[in-house]
Amino acid sequence: MSALGYVLEHYVVLSALLFTIGAIGFLVRRNVLIQLMSIELMLNAINLLLVAYNRQHGGPMTGQLFAFFIIAVAAAEAAVGLAIILSYYRLKASVHSDEADALKH
Amino acid sequence: MLETYLPMLFIFVIALTIGAVMFFGGQLIGPKNPTPEKMMPFECGNDSQGTAGVRLNVKFYLTAILFVVFDIEVVFIYPWAALFKSLGWTGFATMLAFIAALLIALAYCWKKGALEWES
Amino acid sequence: MTFDVVYGLSPLLVVALGALLLMLAEAFGKPNPQGLAPTGEVSDAGAGRAGELGMGAAVVLFVGAALSLGVWLAGPDNLVGLELTRPYLIWDRFTVFVCFTLCLGGGLSCLLAGGYLTEHEIDRAEFFPLVLFSTVGAMALAAAGELLTLFVALETMSLGVYALVGLRRTPRSSEAALKYFLLGSFAAALMLFGAALLYGATGRTDLAGIGQAIAAIGQGEGPGAAQVLIALVLVVVGLAFKVSAVPFHMWTPDAYEGAPTPATSYMAVAVKTAAFAVMVRVLLIAFGDERLTSWASGWPPVLATLAVASMTVANLVAGRQSSVKRMLAYSSIAHAGYALVAVVATIRSPAAEGSILFYLLTYTVSTAGAFGALILCGSRGKEAVSYEDLAGIAKRHPAAAMAFSLFLLSLAGVPPTAGFFGKLYVFQAAIDAELYVLTVVGLLNSLVGAYYYLRVIVFMYMREPAPGATLAVPMRSGYVASALVIAAVLVIALGVLPNVTLEWAAIATVGRS
Repeated sequence: MSALGYVLEHYVVLSALLFTIGAIGFLVRRNVLIQLMSIELMLNAINLLLVAYNRQHGGPMTGQLFAFFIIAVAAAEAAVGLAIILSYYRLKASVHSDEADALKH
Repeated sequence: MLETYLPMLFIFVIALTIGAVMFFGGQLIGPKNPTPEKMMPFECGNDSQGTAGVRLNVKFYLTAILFVVFDIEVVFIYPWAALFKSLGWTGFATMLAFIAALLIALAYCWKKGALEWES
Repeated sequence: MTFDVVYGLSPLLVVALGALLLMLAEAFGKPNPQGLAPTGEVSDAGAGRAGELGMGAAVVLFVGAALSLGVWLAGPDNLVGLELTRPYLIWDRFTVFVCFTLCLGGGLSCLLAGGYLTEHEIDRAEFFPLVLFSTVGAMALAAAGELLTLFVALETMSLGVYALVGLRRTPRSSEAALKYFLLGSFAAALMLFGAALLYGATGRTDLAGIGQAIAAIGQGEGPGAAQVLIALVLVVVGLAFKVSAVPFHMWTPDAYEGAPTPATSYMAVAVKTAAFAVMVRVLLIAFGDERLTSWASGWPPVLATLAVASMTVANLVAGRQSSVKRMLAYSSIAHAGYALVAVVATIRSPAAEGSILFYLLTYTVSTAGAFGALILCGSRGKEAVSYEDLAGIAKRHPAAAMAFSLFLLSLAGVPPTAGFFGKLYVFQAAIDAELYVLTVVGLLNSLVGAYYYLRVIVFMYMREPAPGATLAVPMRSGYVASALVIAAVLVIALGVLPNVTLEWAAIATVGRS
């Protein structure tokens, strides 16, 4: 391995950090658009992890393939999510999840 | 462990130095002769109009979303194209089925008027 | 070989093709001028055709159920070509049984929607292609034997349901969709991180391979074992969210209450059934290692805690609801708790897998029926949602009250209904597995649960509506009525003659090593 070569742990740590930032962002922020972006960050952290592990294990490109599928599914998820957010915004003129309180016991 | 990153640090410092020299050097020794044209934000070709924070029509949203969803499907067509010969007719039939499903989705969008720009 | 595959997968293929065709039929068909809203504001091709499209979707799903039955009778093991789909789709008796349940629940929900959307003038015939696509995802999820297939199937199912929840253009509906979508994607991301860690620790993505690799990692205290444990926690959290077990249930009451009632019914039956199927397969095949299934160092105590919390919390809160729809949401959480008892019992009782499948089938027919009866009790301009709305309905519409009572009794587990045998076999499996504390907690909870189910019946038969209140008038709809008849026949049939179905459920196992 060269000085700046591939070290699995670095990727795992970076991915875990990104995932945690995404998760905390999701839990702390109250703007639903930012929450959606946090989820995308979490998914991208997973992509990084999968590709890094794929390099580690070698063999068939399962990890990279997995990442492709996650990218495609994330796009579909974002489309559905933005549509839901848009329809919510049209009715409530707000994108804050704090104000989503019509349904309570 | 840490010395692994020493080259990175060098590159970082050099890049920062070059950037800082060019930025502040230009400010220090360059001639200053502002005219209204020079103060305008640069936009290729036309005079710019309005502010950058302009609201876009929601039509762009629908088109953009449809574009993203259809565009991303190419991610599955590229690997197939790269292995076209070795996948043979089975691969071809599978890809035809995949594209047929996409076509049905496109026909649905079209019929529902999602592709109409003027309405 | 090809025939085996096509015949074996026919339930999945028929529903997928049906979904595509229905999508085209919805977009390209002629709008029905009589069914259009009087304002005529929506000039959509699907407008006013909710009834016929609902009938089409229901027929597709019932054909899917019939084909599942056919595959079951032919025996998936005899269709040798099905080996080709492994490890991506594991098409065994377990899968086929779940497919039957899913198609049945989906078909009943489509019939309900055919009546509901027409009655309440919701011009959203997209409902039916969405249900079919979700069902395809749910069936693939139940069959998934590999992490990538599992993820894609899970998202196929979920994305459709998110859209179903937000179908109505009302603040409540879109708020419910928003909450469900955000929490659902968050949970999916957590589960996916767990899946990636599993791939990293074992180098495999098929559940059986992961199981072997985990057994090989074995007793070690090394980083591999720790990584597997973290992955296990993340996967269990994701699955617990999908089956809405306490404390991952916060979205359930809101999403169930805000969604259009047929969509609620679909979520309650199909999503939960598929999630339980995949939970059993993942836990027993990938995490079926001796160490991870032991009470001291594995998942059983975690799931037992979830089960106790789900049953207790849901039953206590359900009794305090004023909305019947919300009460049924909490009831579905409680039922997830009973099914979790059976999941824990799989560690020591071979009969437990069958008891879960039988339980899910009885739960599907009773819950779809209960939501259907709730739909039947309301009509345009006034949906029946609260206990007050149902007061005295037995006088206005005895048949609706009778049907509702039957389904509630089945949910409460009163003999001789389907629900009684469902609960009986779950608790029997728990006793077989020597889980006496869980059994006692479950039995006590069933008694508490009976209170709020019976309260609905008391309102329907013994209360008079408050003077001056707007009365909920029961609707007239052949679609809803036929769904209720099918569900009622099944509730009684499974209650009186459970033996054949039980024998079938008993041989539908996931084939752990």
